[in-house]
Amino acid sequence: MLSRLKFILPLAAASALLAVPAAFAVPAKPEAMIAPQAQTTPQVQAEAVGKPKAASTGDHSKFKELQKNFKTGPEVTQACLTCHTEAARQVQHTKHWTWESTDPKTGQVRGKKNIINNYCTSPVSNEKDCMACHAGYGWKDNSFDFKVEKNVDCLICHDTTGTYRKLPGDAGHPVYKRVEFPKGSGKFVEPADLKKVAQSIGMPSRSNCGSCHFFGAGGNGAKHGDLDASLQHPGKYLDVHMNEKGLNFSCVTCHATSSHEVSGSRYNVAAAVEGPAHIRGKKDESPAACQSCHSDKPHHESRLNQHTDKLACQTCHIPLYARNEIGTEASWDWSQATIMGPDGKPTASKDSAGRRKFDTKKGTWVWDSHVIPEYRWYNGVSTYKVIGDKIDPSRTVQINEVGGSPNDPDSRIWPTKVHRGKQPYDKVNNYLTVQHTAGEDATALWHNFDWQKAIGTGMKTAGLKYSGEYGFVDTEMTWPITHMVAPKHDALSCAQCHSKHGRLQGIEGVYLPSRDNNKWLDLAGWTLVLLSLIGVLIHGGLRIYTGKNKGQHK
Amino acid sequence: MNTVNRIYLYKRYERFWHWSQALLVISMLITGFEVHGSYHLFGFETAVSLHTLFAWTLLTLWAFTIFWQFTTDEWKQYIPTLKKVDAMVRYYTFGIFRDAPNPFQKTADKKHNPLQRLAYLALLSMLSPVIWGSGLIYLFYAYWKSWGVDAWLNLEAVAFIHTAGAFMMLVFFIAHVYLTTTGHTPTAHIKTMITGWEDVD
Amino acid sequence: MLKVIGGFFAGIVVVALLVYNYAGNLMFREIPSPFGVEETVARIQQNIQNAGNGWSLSGLRNAAKPIEADGGNVLPVLMIEACSTKYSGPILKDDSLRFLSNLMPCKISVYKKSDGKTYIGMMNAELIGSLFGTMVGGIMKHVAADQARFVVFDASKPAPAMIKGTPGAASGGSGAGAAGGC
Repeated sequence: MLSRLKFILPLAAASALLAVPAAFAVPAKPEAMIAPQAQTTPQVQAEAVGKPKAASTGDHSKFKELQKNFKTGPEVTQACLTCHTEAARQVQHTKHWTWESTDPKTGQVRGKKNIINNYCTSPVSNEKDCMACHAGYGWKDNSFDFKVEKNVDCLICHDTTGTYRKLPGDAGHPVYKRVEFPKGSGKFVEPADLKKVAQSIGMPSRSNCGSCHFFGAGGNGAKHGDLDASLQHPGKYLDVHMNEKGLNFSCVTCHATSSHEVSGSRYNVAAAVEGPAHIRGKKDESPAACQSCHSDKPHHESRLNQHTDKLACQTCHIPLYARNEIGTEASWDWSQATIMGPDGKPTASKDSAGRRKFDTKKGTWVWDSHVIPEYRWYNGVSTYKVIGDKIDPSRTVQINEVGGSPNDPDSRIWPTKVHRGKQPYDKVNNYLTVQHTAGEDATALWHNFDWQKAIGTGMKTAGLKYSGEYGFVDTEMTWPITHMVAPKHDALSCAQCHSKHGRLQGIEGVYLPSRDNNKWLDLAGWTLVLLSLIGVLIHGGLRIYTGKNKGQHK
Repeated sequence: MNTVNRIYLYKRYERFWHWSQALLVISMLITGFEVHGSYHLFGFETAVSLHTLFAWTLLTLWAFTIFWQFTTDEWKQYIPTLKKVDAMVRYYTFGIFRDAPNPFQKTADKKHNPLQRLAYLALLSMLSPVIWGSGLIYLFYAYWKSWGVDAWLNLEAVAFIHTAGAFMMLVFFIAHVYLTTTGHTPTAHIKTMITGWEDVD
Repeated sequence: MLKVIGGFFAGIVVVALLVYNYAGNLMFREIPSPFGVEETVARIQQNIQNAGNGWSLSGLRNAAKPIEADGGNVLPVLMIEACSTKYSGPILKDDSLRFLSNLMPCKISVYKKSDGKTYIGMMNAELIGSLFGTMVGGIMKHVAADQARFVVFDASKPAPAMIKGTPGAASGGSGAGAAGGC
């Protein structure tokens, strides 16, 4: 940029000097120009106030089953099930209900219920809080019955009023009584009118999915980096598909759903989809992947298409993630938790951008915006550390080992978010610990600030032996980045990878012209070139020398 | 400088071919080594596009030239001979410094000296196939899979061969340019290549 | 003789080319920041507020916003605007110098580059000031000295909060934050 300036500036300086006398000669125009960024455009609320032309053939406000003053969520569900007889059982087969996922290739049983991540770690023993994001009612401990149909929460996904809210502490029940939240904030959450909510259900919108997925790890944008509340009303720059004034996709446009089974999941990523674009609706052939609509040869230029055998679309088309002020968490250090403020009381502080930085309850965080992804070979299969898996505390523990290799035809180079953590583990048994963090009881970490008790209760609930000795271990969790697709002119340019210190510097197993060369060939080649130059110079020099000696007789 | 005979050595098409080929080869060396990562000049993206464009242009030129070579019987200029090769070697290593006469006299039928014939034949039959073969395989990387060659072919090897060819071409270029100065005056050969006319003592 | 004169003019041409080539870099400075974009901004803002000499913040602009609004992506660029009535007053009172208001308020930009690191860009106030006579030169020398202090950070102090917009003004941009109205 400075190099361009160095041309413009002297010019500008010269013209400014010339312009001064001219400026005095000509009276200034009275109109004032207003810089565009000084103007504040009021955010237009996208949620339609009036009812749009309904896609459904039934008007739920006219159904007699819904003309009741519902007291609880399960009552609403029972009403739903009178017509939608199979709905609950369908939901009960999905991850949204079980919090479990089986890897079709390895058979490993993962899911939130079974893994310990490096954000909030585990919901086990913390169900009352965590289950605010469970598509069900009443999962407060291990005794939860996964067969009870009326405990399926229809409204969290199908509410269109935006008034239906589930808060931590209620084990998945919505707010039934006016409550201050967060505690001590002076802000109150009103209970939803369940009758009205039940009568105005619809297809899941961005805010339905976003109410959990935008706020993973307990904060806006904290967990994913490519999912946050800015996707509620994104501009074209942030997400070319969800752009409100453009294509205006909702989440389920790509995450096509049948029988309540939502396609696309980081647990089973369609990492290397090949072939032409799919016809949506054909079962199993319609993954939530770019290629489903764009095919594996989406560019006009064939040279770009020939990259699709090695690169995921996301690698070029999501050049940076968390491209907003919300940002995302780069790291979470639990070892700083329980440290009190100078007055001996729990304290919390924010960083310069107003994001959480320290909390006696949870430790320290580092946030970043406009983050350059880390690139990995990835075949869509991750092996997770599940509760009780042994770890090697002398090395950084991988919460999930990202599968894939350069020679695997199902692998592509993917952009990922790597979240670094420091979290407790059992020093004798060498596994990550489950801790009882949330709650008001005597062993909850956030109430008593005692790791020993919190881990003791957590481990007991998880059914794991605890040695009584804990330490903190460095961990990494790798997330494929797939949302926030930038407009095409913002995709990575060739030289951002095809150069010595480019984006793919650390990627092995693939030959990148301009990044890679055979150093022996280069050495031999340039030596040969140099030798021939020297050779002709000597030969020519000798010709001139001997020619001069003999005088010019031609 | 008594009697100067002028013979018409290089026909119009031949000169056109030579100079446009020279321009294309130089351009391809410049862009090619940028793609290789040796320096930054046009930027990677532009260098790749130009390199590809020049490649297709040169191939087109060759198509016409091969046609020309065979319709005019000029291809026979490249039939190798070992006769007088030793004399040529001796001339370039000793004679040239002693102002000895060039043992080879150019005629319209025999434009190239025996060493030249060998060099050009090597260029055509060995270096060209290496560069063009590896270059085209490189260019059609996208089709490797459908051709079923991706199992045993890798880009690194192809790039290696192509780069090695490029180095040899660069060496040829240096030697070739230098040898053009070895006529009876330093610019005589170049003039001939431009006008087509050669001065013969 | 001709050679001497020729050499003299060649020397002039060479110097002119060098000046042309490097003048831009001389007029601006770029330094890497040890902090992220927001924290760098917040710390510079704090330094400005503590600087004395009449300095106050006049606004914070986000140059990336209009580009984003236009559907394009650009790495974060924040421009801190600051003003000191002590320095701006004398210049703005002089009719022959009022055009220099173009350079006001003082700007320090904080931006991320594609290496993921944060940088601080500043004008070389002293050099530019020296182009406009002794009075301006003298003032800008002080401005430059103050500016240099704006980017000295004490990492042992906690990160302050970034001040968005103009303190005391209705919205972002350069408002009437400073009493002198620069």
